[in-house]
Order: sequence, then structure tokens, then C-alpha cells
Amino acid sequence: MPKRKLDPLPSAAFQILLALAGEDLHGYGIMRQVAEQTESRMRLGPGTLYSSIQTLLEAKLIEELDQREDAKLGQERRRYYRLTSTGRKMARSEAQRLADLLRVARARKILRGEYV
Amino acid sequence: MSEKIYACLLRLFPSHFREAYGDQAPQLFRDRARDEKGFFPRVRLWLDLLADLAISLPRQYRYVRPAFAGAVAPQRLEGTPAFFVLTDESPGSGALIFGCALSMMALSLFSILLVHAGSHRPPSASSYQRAYASDSRPFASGHASEQAPGDAQDAIRNASRVKPYETKSNDSQPKVLLPLGSSRFPDAWPPQMQDVAERKRLMNAVIDNLKKHYVDREVARKTADALLAHEKNGDDDKVADGGAFASLLTQQIRDASHDMHLEVVYSQEPLPDLLPESTAADFARYRKVMERDNCTFKKVEILPHNIGYLKLNAFPDPRVCRATATAAMASLNRADAIIFDLRDNRGGYSSMVSLIAAYLFDHPEYMYDPQESPTPHSWTLSPVAGNKLADKPAFVLTSASTNSAAEQFCYDLKMLKRVTLVGETTRGSAHAGVFHRIDDHFGMGIPEVLPVNPFSNTDWEGTGVEPDVKVDAAQALETAQKLAEGRLQKK
Repeated sequence: MPKRKLDPLPSAAFQILLALAGEDLHGYGIMRQVAEQTESRMRLGPGTLYSSIQTLLEAKLIEELDQREDAKLGQERRRYYRLTSTGRKMARSEAQRLADLLRVARARKILRGEYV
Repeated sequence: MSEKIYACLLRLFPSHFREAYGDQAPQLFRDRARDEKGFFPRVRLWLDLLADLAISLPRQYRYVRPAFAGAVAPQRLEGTPAFFVLTDESPGSGALIFGCALSMMALSLFSILLVHAGSHRPPSASSYQRAYASDSRPFASGHASEQAPGDAQDAIRNASRVKPYETKSNDSQPKVLLPLGSSRFPDAWPPQMQDVAERKRLMNAVIDNLKKHYVDREVARKTADALLAHEKNGDDDKVADGGAFASLLTQQIRDASHDMHLEVVYSQEPLPDLLPESTAADFARYRKVMERDNCTFKKVEILPHNIGYLKLNAFPDPRVCRATATAAMASLNRADAIIFDLRDNRGGYSSMVSLIAAYLFDHPEYMYDPQESPTPHSWTLSPVAGNKLADKPAFVLTSASTNSAAEQFCYDLKMLKRVTLVGETTRGSAHAGVFHRIDDHFGMGIPEVLPVNPFSNTDWEGTGVEPDVKVDAAQALETAQKLAEGRLQKK
């Protein structure tokens, strides 16, 4: 039985790293941030979200913080997650890879635009 | 209500996931349910959850936590049985009781079977050895007879080449054939050959066969003339028995033709009318024997000073043993020198000779095969991808038993100055001729192809291959190791 791998980085894991790039978030916060940054194309369910979080934690790309309340969501204590420096590097390298891919796509005239 | 349904669905996840996120997943569901009110948002929520279950459940069950994976890996490497832990939960008492009962049943059944089997006698070791000896007999009689049927052409060619009898002597003298297993001569031995008419009949048959089958018609004619001249001079009058007459004819034929592959043979037992053709069953048996015997690759190891050592007792059919051969050579790939031990090698297939020799060159080399005219297959398929042995010192151990295809390996590589032969002069059987039956007791071997020997006018037929370093076979390995070490130290 294989261990889950991050090479290549799965799309959900990359989105979670991007969501945490701005601020520390709890699970539901990550889900909402991912939905926002993908214009609701990716709505992470609990299974996908927490299994991705588990993998990222084991790879030390994110870390778990002490539980605390989210004032906007009531008094329930929630686990927050933070991007580590390794996670930031990984997100940057994945973004760079996608940018390179985008440049190729533009060069092949599959996509228009010059902003990348 | 919705949350209870989701809590039930959550139980489908493995325990390690529930332990880690059993509180957070329902919390996320509650958050979404609170924020996504109304019919359509609620339908979308459930569709999302169902899709999420379909995707994440299989992933979770394929997933092994690193702690377990790490614990199992070293055990697997050592080749010992490994156990995967699928869940963190301890088994329930029901499962434990069931497991105990099942184990007791299995043990009882095993004991009963053991007692029952005890009343049967196992096959004896001696019968196994006899069966094996019978299966492997073609190796003893040489190169051509080992051909197993794979295609019709092989079968036809081999049918006539098969020599179903072992040779009594292994010197350069013409051969007298004895049936396998015969331990003494019958009372009628040796038969009388004083009858002039009988000798004449045999000589005419020999001449007919020569003219009909020998590859060079002009040489066949001259040889026939020489035989008739000997007869006229009365040179044949002194022979008393079939064996002596066969020897005399062979000597006369070889003197006239200068071809050591020509021979007349005599068999005490009547020769079969038609030599048996190989069948698919023979090939299946051959495959079985080879698989049981690791294709005669007896030892593949690295000796001190990183010297690779391969003990090979035949050159088996690549159609059966290619994978074994390539695996053996691959395992020696990082050696600094290589020793091929052919002291107990009785021959086999020239295609396997080429296959193994290919590792010793970085370019195709012509391998002389006394049984074949040159074809594209006469060149080794060098370079072999990934091979590092092409420029490494190579040694071949020989003995007086090294025979047939093994002699081809020794001869060609010695002539190409690629190996150092260490040991004794080889047996001296090229098995180049095709066997032709003359009558119940006489037959002859006649080469029917024109092999090209770029190295010399003669090969090892009758003389054997001389080693470069002559020592007793028993000391050959030690000597070769010293030579290899010396060669490596000079580098």
C-alpha cells in the first residue's frame, strides 16, 4: 500500500498552500478561501480537505497551531494551520512550474495574453 | 438530522482518519450547513459531500501511515515475512476467539495429513537422480543433440544430427559407439570383418554418402579415390572387427580430405532406422529440467578483489534461459574482472555462446561455429546496453571434460585474444557433422555446411583447445584468481 505522495503536488494540496499563504486558517476557513480563489470551482469536502491537510502536515509543509476560537463563527475552538517556510518554497516552485507551462502554452498560441 | 446522517457516513472512513479529524469534519459540515441555507445550496452541499466521499474514501484506505511503512520496509528488504497493520484498533474479543478456533482447526488438519502421508513412501533420491540423468542425457552427447524443438527447421536438422549413443573414447581417434548404460561387451564382440565382400559393401556406402552429402564435391571425389586406392593396396586386409574398420576408414578419410569433422562410427547395438525427432514434449521436459537446474548457472558470485565468478555447466537454449543468462551477467556487471568456470560444461547451444560472449565486447565480433555457415547471427550482439564488462580482464577455466559448445566459447574467445584460458586441454569435440546411418551398425558424420573459420584451418576437433595457462583443473580457479588479482593490481 503506497504512502500518499506530493510529487507531483496534487491540485487540492497546492490550493491549500495558496490559501494559507495569506494568513493562518482553520479547516472551514481554508475551504472558503479555496472556493474564493478558484471562483467556487473547487469546494473541498471534509474527506479531501483533511486528508490533504494530513499529508501536508506529515511533509512539514504546514504546521498545526494551538486551538482557538473564531469570533465570527461562535465559541467552538478550532485547529488553525500555518504555512511553513518549506511549504512556501514548495508553493513557489509549483507556481513557477505552472508559469513555465503557461509560457509554453502562449508560445504554442494555445492561450493569448502577455501578463505571464 | 443532517448532521447525524453525516456522522454515520463519517464512520466509513478508516479509524486513523476518524481519530485525527473525527471532531473537525462534523464541525466543517455544521459550518457549511449554517452558511448554505435554502434548497439549492443544501442540495449542492450534499452533492459535494457525496462526491468527496467517493474520492477520498479509496485514498484513505490505500494510505499507509509513515510509521508503519517505515517499520515494514527493512523487514521486506531482508526477505523475511512482513505484516501490514491495516488499522489501529485492537481486534474485538469475537474476532480473537474466531481466530483461535480457526488456528486450532488448521493445526489439527495438518497433524492428520502428516500422519496420513506417513504411510506413503517418498520417491527415493536414487530414482530422482536417474530421472534427471535421463533428462539431461542430451548434454552428454553434445552440441547438436541438445537442440530442443522450437521450430520445424531445427527439428529436421537435429533429427539427423542426434547421436543417441555416448562415445567410448574421447581422444582424437575415430569413435566406437556403445549404447548408454552398457557395462560390458557381449560374447559376439568384436565382430569379424574379414569378409572382403562385406568390407567392400561398407566402403561403397561410405563413398556414396561422401559424394552425396559432403559439402565440397571435389574433396569428396578425391577422398573416395584415396579409399579405393587403400583397398587396392590391401591396407584394409588386416582389420578384424567393425570398430577397427571404422577407425581405419576414418583415418584414411581424414588423411585424404584434411577434414577432422569427417568420421565413420561403429555401434555395437543396432542403430535405429530413423533417429527420433524432437517433440514438443521433449522441449517441455527440457524447459522443466532447465528451470529446476537454474539453466545450469551453478554459481554466480563476487570473489575477493571484486572478481566476478560464473560457473556454467552448459550453454542452454536461449529460448528457455535468456532471462537467467542476462540476470546472471547483470549481477556481475560491476565486477573488475570475470572468471567463467567451464570445467564441468558439456556444451549446448552456440546461440547462448554468442549471447554470453556479447558481454565481453563493445562491438559485434564474429563467432566461429563449426556447425553453421556464417549468417548475421554469427556476430555477437555487442555492445549490450548498460554492460560494463567489455573491457574487463576475463578468464575461462577449462578441463578435459569441457566439451562441444563450451569449446567453441573457449576457442573463439582465445582466438580473439579476449580471454585467458586456465586449466586443461579441452575434450576436442566440435560435433560439426550430420550423422548418416549406413546400416544397423555403421554410420558416419559428414559436415554439410561450409563454416568459415577466420582464425585457422583447423579447429578443436580431435585436438581440443589448448589453455594459455596449463594447470590441473582442480587448481584452475585458484590460478585464475591470482592472475586476475595481478592484472588488477597493475591497473
